[in-house]
Amino acid sequence: MINIFRAKNIITMNPSNPQATHVAVRDGMILGVGTFEDVAGWGEHVIDETFGDLVIIPGFVEAHAHVMAGGMLQRPYVGYFDRPLPDGQVASGIKSYAALIDRLREIHRSMPDPAQQLIAEGFDPIYFPDQPRLNRQHLDQVSSTRPIFIHHANGHLATANTAMLKLNNVSTDLKVDGLGRDDSGELDGELREPAAMSLCRTAFREIQRSNMSEAAIRNFAALARNAGITTCTDLGGISIIATRALEQWRALTSEVDFPLRVVQYNLPAMPGTAADFEAVAHEFVRLKNSGTDRLRFPGVKFVLDGSIQGFTALLNPPGYFRGEDHGQLLAVPGQLLDWMLPFHRAGLSIHMHCNGNRTQDLAIETIEALLKVAPAPDHRHTITHAQLTTQAQLRKMAKLGLCANFFTNHLWYWGDQHYGITVGPERANALEPCASAIREGVSFSFHSDAGVTPLGPLHTMWCAVNRVTPSGRVLGPAEKITASQALKAATIDAAYQLHLDHEIGSLEAGKKADFTVLHDDPLAVAPLAIRDIRVWGTVLGGQCFKAAG
Amino acid sequence: MIGYTVIGGYLGAGKTTLLNHLLSVCDDRRLGVLVNDFGAINIDAGLIDSRSETTISLTNGCICCTMSDGYSEAIDQLLEARHPVDHIVVEASGVADVRQLAQYGRHPGLHLDGVLVVADAETLPQQLSDRYIGSTVQRQLEAADLVVLNKVDLIAEAELRARLEWFGKVCPQVRVVPSQRGWLPMNLLLGINSQRLRGSGASGEHPHYVSWHVSLAHAVTKQALEGFAKELDPAVLRVKGIVSEPGSQALVLQVVGRRWEVLRVDVFSVGDRGKDAAPTGVAPDAGVDPGVDTAVAPGVQTGTQLVAIGLKGQLNPQILIALAAKWLH
Repeated sequence: MINIFRAKNIITMNPSNPQATHVAVRDGMILGVGTFEDVAGWGEHVIDETFGDLVIIPGFVEAHAHVMAGGMLQRPYVGYFDRPLPDGQVASGIKSYAALIDRLREIHRSMPDPAQQLIAEGFDPIYFPDQPRLNRQHLDQVSSTRPIFIHHANGHLATANTAMLKLNNVSTDLKVDGLGRDDSGELDGELREPAAMSLCRTAFREIQRSNMSEAAIRNFAALARNAGITTCTDLGGISIIATRALEQWRALTSEVDFPLRVVQYNLPAMPGTAADFEAVAHEFVRLKNSGTDRLRFPGVKFVLDGSIQGFTALLNPPGYFRGEDHGQLLAVPGQLLDWMLPFHRAGLSIHMHCNGNRTQDLAIETIEALLKVAPAPDHRHTITHAQLTTQAQLRKMAKLGLCANFFTNHLWYWGDQHYGITVGPERANALEPCASAIREGVSFSFHSDAGVTPLGPLHTMWCAVNRVTPSGRVLGPAEKITASQALKAATIDAAYQLHLDHEIGSLEAGKKADFTVLHDDPLAVAPLAIRDIRVWGTVLGGQCFKAAG
Repeated sequence: MIGYTVIGGYLGAGKTTLLNHLLSVCDDRRLGVLVNDFGAINIDAGLIDSRSETTISLTNGCICCTMSDGYSEAIDQLLEARHPVDHIVVEASGVADVRQLAQYGRHPGLHLDGVLVVADAETLPQQLSDRYIGSTVQRQLEAADLVVLNKVDLIAEAELRARLEWFGKVCPQVRVVPSQRGWLPMNLLLGINSQRLRGSGASGEHPHYVSWHVSLAHAVTKQALEGFAKELDPAVLRVKGIVSEPGSQALVLQVVGRRWEVLRVDVFSVGDRGKDAAPTGVAPDAGVDPGVDTAVAPGVQTGTQLVAIGLKGQLNPQILIALAAKWLH
């Protein structure tokens, strides 16, 4: 049976046929896009008027997210900014310590078992520069008996209350660096880096376990659907050797009503039976060949450095504006080419996490060397985050055929901090240089890096178009792009990066019937209103998935 | 208390060689080795008892685990193994922050025995000035208790002096031990194994290292041990001291490079069974260790045993004798 969806407007992102009112779908595939007359001839059909007052665009493709986005929301959220929840509700941002304590008290009172630990997510001290560090005494105000653990947004810090420290026998005489102490040498409850955080093992374990759970995947899919995403990456979420996790993904994505296509890029960890990089690449090829309609494994992710706001990204001079430089590579440069080569030769797509521009130099040099050894005309290897990409790097990337995956959400979430603290005004204005990338001919997409920031392509687009910070500053107006350019990055260009642009990313005959359904036209509303457009839901392979709430 | 050692150092420095050396010598300790992946270690097939995706068991009782499930999980796996290990050795990746990895050795139940950073004597200057890894390599060296300056046979003597001068200037707190192919005494690398002291010298058969020991019939105080440790001269690379006190307690002094600590432990966990020790004073020739018992029977007698390891030609017994006379009377 053929379904013809009628909409107020259909934006196809197919330059040959940019706009339409009707799209005909059979067996999950688009038969035609155009006027009713254009598509009616395919045969017997029913007309679906569900979207008669709505706007259809190609299903959003989120090019860098983590299933952890769903894992963390099994726990209460206490971050600074509002956070959409899987059920369609929104957890409102917490702007003061008093509000934090109030929220935690509410949660505490709602928990029937007095011994159960309370773990909350998303707190970020960078937004409270005038406050003393969050400490155990703050949390003891919530409860002196229930163990409490606040997992910070950056993943490198936590704050525990006295009961939590006690539960895990974390005592003053432990000499672990990273145990925060007050002036008298007593533990203040702050735990820095995993070696200290894992001392509170009851909490640490629960967090780790929950990120691998079925609920994490279901939450992740629900969040994506609510945000209008039809294809979502899980970029380095699991290790290739975590076979149990893999089986779980396979089982859930094969359920008929699973609302998402998932594209996984695993980390290149070495399975126990593999002796060399070749063997690991071989495993990746095997995995790639096992891909299904809703679960793909096109490539591999290399994490090359840390984050800018954590001061662990490796920067070229003049380095960080304020704060101590902890820039560090997370991969061994002398090994990188040898590592990447077998993946490249096997035709796998390589995504490289680079936040610092020095790290990005290394990635670009390595790809250049790679292409000299093994030329490949259409590799689409991608630098992900790429936040401080310079003009020289863009020129080089264009020549090498590298794509960029910009973390545009940083413009909003940390834009003021980048301007005032991390990299200073000039480089903050040049963050996520989308306009320059277009000018230099570098294909790019956007991302949320969820759960670092929430899944929401309309928001990542809004950031690229407006470049506004919470304080109202416009960061580098010269790098603004149009809504149409932003929509391209969030759909067809993201699909291109994942080597899926022949299947998804635009609405054309023969492609998958993946739509995002919106209450307004993102190309017609005021640029500042883009992020406020309501998402009706999605259509995935012709099947409707209404957003929750 | 289970010892915990981090082996760090940049790619090509010789970490794996050193690790394989430890696994093949292994004296009578059961080592639990944590590696990023098995690709890095080349274990003799004849040594392998069994293997799974994340674990290799060796015929000599040692176990290798990958850290694929996370760091603290891997450590727990070793601690909860059916035959618990005596000592955990972590092979850090070439760019790892060894200071952070060392912190796991301060978790309850573990004792941070040492942070060993292996450096390639030949290429170290290039590495230190490399734009990508220079700061990482320097940070690793600064975090070391002992730097194993490997491949010294590949550089001229003047170059070696220049390297040592660099260390003296940039990280004077670090002790540097020159080496070829990572061949160093086990007791230097993983701490002095008190069970072995009885038979042979703590420095083993290695031609470049000597040991010195003292055995006293009385227990000394914690303050005395600390005073002794604080004033040790730089030629001392390792010390282990055990003070058996009346009752079931013992004090253990562990020194690695410039770092030392005194722990009070239950005497049964020291792992020593000694017969009555007479005050033998100081071995006349530091190179010839007559073999000593390291502790007296708990609850029966008190006593103090101290063993030190240093480089031959640098470790001066006279200085140690004077120091012992000052603090341990």
